[in-house]
Formats: sequence, structure tokens, C-alpha cells
Amino acid sequence: MDAPILGASGRAEATRPAPRVPLGELVFALLMLALGVFALVGAFSIHVPVGVKVGPTIFPIFVSIVLLGSAAAVLVSVLRGNRAEVEEGEDIDPDAKTDWLTLAKIVGAVVAHLLLIDVIGWAPAAAVLFGVVAWSLGAKRWWLAFVIGLVLGLVVQVVFGGLMGLSLPWGPALGWLGGMF
Amino acid sequence: MDSWTLLLEGFATALQPQYLIFAFFGVLIGTAVGVLPGIGPAMTVALLLPLTYTLDPTAALITFAGIYYGGMYGGSTTSILLNTPGESASIVTAIEGNRMAKLGRGAAALATAAIGSFIAGTIATVGLTLLAPVLAQFAVNLGPADYVALIVIAFVTVGALIGSSVPRGMTSLGVGLFLGLVGTDTLTAQQRYTLGLLPLSDGIDIVLVAVGLFAVGETLYIAARLRHGGIDVIPVTGGWRSWMTKDDWKRSWKPWLRGTAIGFPIGTIPAGGADVATFLSYATERKLSKHKKEFGRGAIEGVAGPESANNAAAAGVLVPLLTLGLPTTATAAIILVAFQAYGLQPGPQLFQNQPALVWALVASLYLGNVILIVLNLPLVGMWVKLLQIPRPYLYAGILLFAAFGAYALNFAVVDILILVIIGVLGYFMRRFGYPVAPLVVGMILGPMGEEYLRKALQLSQGDLSTLVMQPFAATAYIVLALLVAGGLWLRRRQTRYEQQLTESIAVPIKADQEV
Repeated sequence: MDAPILGASGRAEATRPAPRVPLGELVFALLMLALGVFALVGAFSIHVPVGVKVGPTIFPIFVSIVLLGSAAAVLVSVLRGNRAEVEEGEDIDPDAKTDWLTLAKIVGAVVAHLLLIDVIGWAPAAAVLFGVVAWSLGAKRWWLAFVIGLVLGLVVQVVFGGLMGLSLPWGPALGWLGGMF
Repeated sequence: MDSWTLLLEGFATALQPQYLIFAFFGVLIGTAVGVLPGIGPAMTVALLLPLTYTLDPTAALITFAGIYYGGMYGGSTTSILLNTPGESASIVTAIEGNRMAKLGRGAAALATAAIGSFIAGTIATVGLTLLAPVLAQFAVNLGPADYVALIVIAFVTVGALIGSSVPRGMTSLGVGLFLGLVGTDTLTAQQRYTLGLLPLSDGIDIVLVAVGLFAVGETLYIAARLRHGGIDVIPVTGGWRSWMTKDDWKRSWKPWLRGTAIGFPIGTIPAGGADVATFLSYATERKLSKHKKEFGRGAIEGVAGPESANNAAAAGVLVPLLTLGLPTTATAAIILVAFQAYGLQPGPQLFQNQPALVWALVASLYLGNVILIVLNLPLVGMWVKLLQIPRPYLYAGILLFAAFGAYALNFAVVDILILVIIGVLGYFMRRFGYPVAPLVVGMILGPMGEEYLRKALQLSQGDLSTLVMQPFAATAYIVLALLVAGGLWLRRRQTRYEQQLTESIAVPIKADQEV
């Protein structure tokens, strides 16, 4: 790809072999800019009651200006070749590539969890969440992950739902247990 | 003198057995979660927020004080004992402790960190006791325009000074301000940015945003590039009583005190939080040390000073939080959320209306420090075990508790959906170098700022000049300019310093490997 217009600086490329066009960064900065536009347009569609002098639109306009200004500044700096500095962490492999499949599995697990809570009860849904996430992160024995998840879910359900009175649904399989509290 | 009587009454409350148990529990669980790798203090506090839902306000705040100090301290154990290759000078201050551990002096590093944290925490809490009532007294007389000025200071310093890029920090702040707008305007009952969706008409709960960004976003970020394979924990040998030699004590006590002197004032002003304090302390110790050559290879001063500075700053952050209601770090912002969950608004009024509660909280900070040191040294074996939790289970557990916390807010599954969406946003923000702390601070302070702004403008009948004409507000804006300039200058120095340090450390590391 020949895109010297973007002028990725030599310094940034020397430290890290990155694609020449930081597509993700540009898209994200554009999204932030779009959010600013949305906020500004939305501000003018807020209904201001008659006779109100300092109304509900003043602060939204201020917020839109902050968003538009800073997002534009990010966009310009990315285009001028200043790449993002990302944080490192104890469990992060700095040389690894982004594993999109694992991310999709984890997000899917949380969505499945929220859909299942009212159907099979909180603790079983918690087991699903824990099991799928642990499995997708590479737990050695997948069944053990589900067992741990179920135990953890039951402990939380009994302590917070049963003893401390938070209304976590018990679900059809554990209804008898819920009856004991 | 009056505040000492109040403090004694606070101790009388906090020393009651049931509250003592809550303080103990808070420190224990705060340290345990803080020790877990990948979990910083902000995430610790956010994750443990739901635990306090069912407690009465005093018990909840006492538990929280324990969690706060425990979480702050827990991280240092992680960085001393966990052997992670590839992470060079990103946390320059953690490096000395890690090197010490590799040389078999991990026990001394842990001990000097623990004792330093205790001393710094206690002295800084005394500072808080002295300073807070004076400041609260002063703040009672501030008008709406003055508060607008204070909030603008918090916005700009947090946005510009947290993270590595000013425009990215300000964007993050803007997103937070925007999320704070979503919902129904309190003064005119108009819906704003709700898209006609019912769950949004009450606004987005800040707990969802904090947990979503810190727990879900961070987990996704780590999951995407998880380090697989064995976990390398450096073993700690010997009984904890014999950890520090006489020489260690002699080399540690001055850095402890200097760290406190650096950390507390920096914590109280909005200048980028504990990071700046630890860096300044490290640089100072390196300059003053008689053992300059040891720096980069495990100098005990390089652990003692920054650890003390870190804890002193943690106490310092509570000064503006309690007296003005201004959070200057992400962790402080989440503590503010905990207050608000009980209908308490930190600020000068809190000192007048709820003195018993405030002073019980301050007293529990003293107790928390004592509990911290009593627990930490003997329990180090347990912390080491925690470091060895297999990562798939660890992160599955974090997500489970995040989802539980979100669900327990209103028992509505839609909250978990919002949590995931915020989590994905947090992932991309982190991936593209946007700090998430300004978002949380912006979302909390935004509605407050709007209220004061509108009050001020109503008083002046729409005349904008009222915002800068008050003597206090005008001074505040000048101070703001100085803070930002000074903060940015400091950060540039820090970056340069760390680069040089990485280069100078790289040589001894290579030498180590050849041996």
C-alpha cells in the first residue's frame, strides 16, 4: 500500500512494525467525531420549555464542543503519524496478535448469560458464563470450568440471594432450594 | 481541637466489633482482589461495589475504606512477585521490587513496601484529619460559579494529565460527559439523547459504566492477547519476622518519609494522581541514594520511596473528594459513586450534616492501615497462591462478578446488555490508547457541573462573565493553567527519564542473562 500522504513518521515505525494506515484508530476517531456531531444535532432537538432562560441545551452544546474539538485533534494527530501508546499488563503477551475469535466467544457468553437468567435461573446461567469464558481462554478441562462456575454461582446465589435478600431468580431446577430461604 | 473530639467519637464508632469486622473484611478482600494480576485499584473498587449494597451506610463506607487501602497495596505484591518477561520500564517503580525478588530478596521488598505503606498511610491520614475540616469550612462559602471553576479544574486536569495523549484524554472525558447527559433533565424534565428507549430515560447507571470499563473492557483487552503457558511466581523464603535486616531498615526509613512528603501533597492536588507521585519519589531516591549503582538491579530505596508515595497519595486524594466532592482519580470517582448510592454527597455539607459518618470513615482509615500491615506480612503465602490462579478461571470469575454486579443493581437483564456494550467500548478505547479514567470522572462530575453552571447563570441572568468574575473562580482558572502546564512538563520529563532508565537497565539485565 503506497500511502505516504499519511506520513507515518519514521520514529513510530522504528519502534513497532505496524500497518502503515492505522485503520482501526482512524475509524474509532471518526466514530468519536460522529458522536460529537450526534450530540450537537441532538442538543438542538431538545425541547426547551417556554420561559426557561438557562435551559437543558446549554450544557449539551458545551459537551458537543469538547467532543468535536478533541476528536478532531486525535484525528489530526493520527493522520500526522502519531500512533496510540497502549498500556501493557502483567498477563498481556506484548507479541501476541489480537485474538478476535476469543473476544467474540466471550461477548457471546455474556449475551447468552443475560438471555438465560430468566429462563434457567441465575446460578445455572452463571455456570454457562464462567464455563464458556474459561473454555475460550484455554482452560485445560472444559467440564471442570463448568463445575467451578456452577459452584461459584450457587455460593453467590445462596449468600446474596438467600441470606442477604437480593432477588436472584432461582430457576426451575433450583426452585426447591430457593424455597428454603 | 474540635476535630480531634470528633475523631475520637469516630474511633468509638469504628472500634465497635461489627464495624471492626467490616474494616477487617474490607482490607482482606481489597488486598486479595488487588493482588490478582490484571486488576488495578479502580477495578478492585468497582468490582466490590455490589458487595456493599446490602449494608448500612457506615458499615459500607468503612468496608470501602478497607477495600481502597487494601486494593492500593495489593498491586505492589503483584509487581514484586510476578515474573513477567517483556514488560520493561512501563512501570518503572515496580522494577526495583521485581529485581530484588529475583535476587532472593523478595521478602525484604515486600516488607519495606508494607511498612512504608503503613507509615505513609498513617502520616497522610493525619494530614487528612488536619486539612479536611479547614478546607470544608472554607468550601462552605463557595458559590455556584466557584464550583463551576473547581469542576472545570477537575475536568481539564483529569482529561489532560491522565494517560499519554492530551486529545485522547479529552475525548474520553467528552464521552463521559455525554453519557452523563443521557436521561431526563432534572430541572425541566426533558428527555435528552434517550432515543425514546425506556431503559435510558432514567439515565445510564454510573456503576454499569465503571464496571463495564474497568472489569469487562480490561478483561477483553487482556483476553485478546492473553499470555499463555506457565505462571512464573518468584518464591519468597524465610519467616516474615527476619525479612528486613538492620541495613534494610537504615536504608528504608528516609525514603519512607520522603515518599510521604512527596505523595500526600500531590495526591491532594489534581495533577495526575499517584503515578506522578511514585515517579517523583523514585527519581528523588535515585538522585539522593549512596547506592546509585544498585538502581535498576534491586535497590531497596527504589521500593520504599515509591510505595510510600503511592499510599500517601491515596490518602491525599481523599481530601478533595471528601471536602469538595471532587474526584481526581478513577478510583476516587468510584468511591464517590459508592457515597451517592447511599444518597450521600461528599462536600462541605457532608462535614456539617453527617459528622459522625465522616469521622467514623476517617477513623477507619487509621484502623485500615493497621489491619493492612497486620494482615499483609503473615499472609504473604496466601497472596502468592492467589497469583497462581489459572488465568482462564481468573478472568471468567472477574466477568461473572461484573455481570452479577450489573444485574444486582435493578435485577434487569438489560443492565447486563448495557454493561457489555460499555465493555466493548472500553476495549476499543484501551486498544487505541484512550485512558478510561477521564470518562468515569466526566460522567460523574458532568451532571454536577451542569447543575452549578445553570445555577450560576440563573443568578446572573444569563451573563457568562459571572463565571470568571468571582475572585475565587478567577484564581482557580489561573491555578488550572499552572497545574496543566506543570503537569505536562512533569510528564514529558517522566517519559524521557523512563526511556533513559530502560536503556541503562537494559545493560544489567543482559549481563544477568549471560550469567
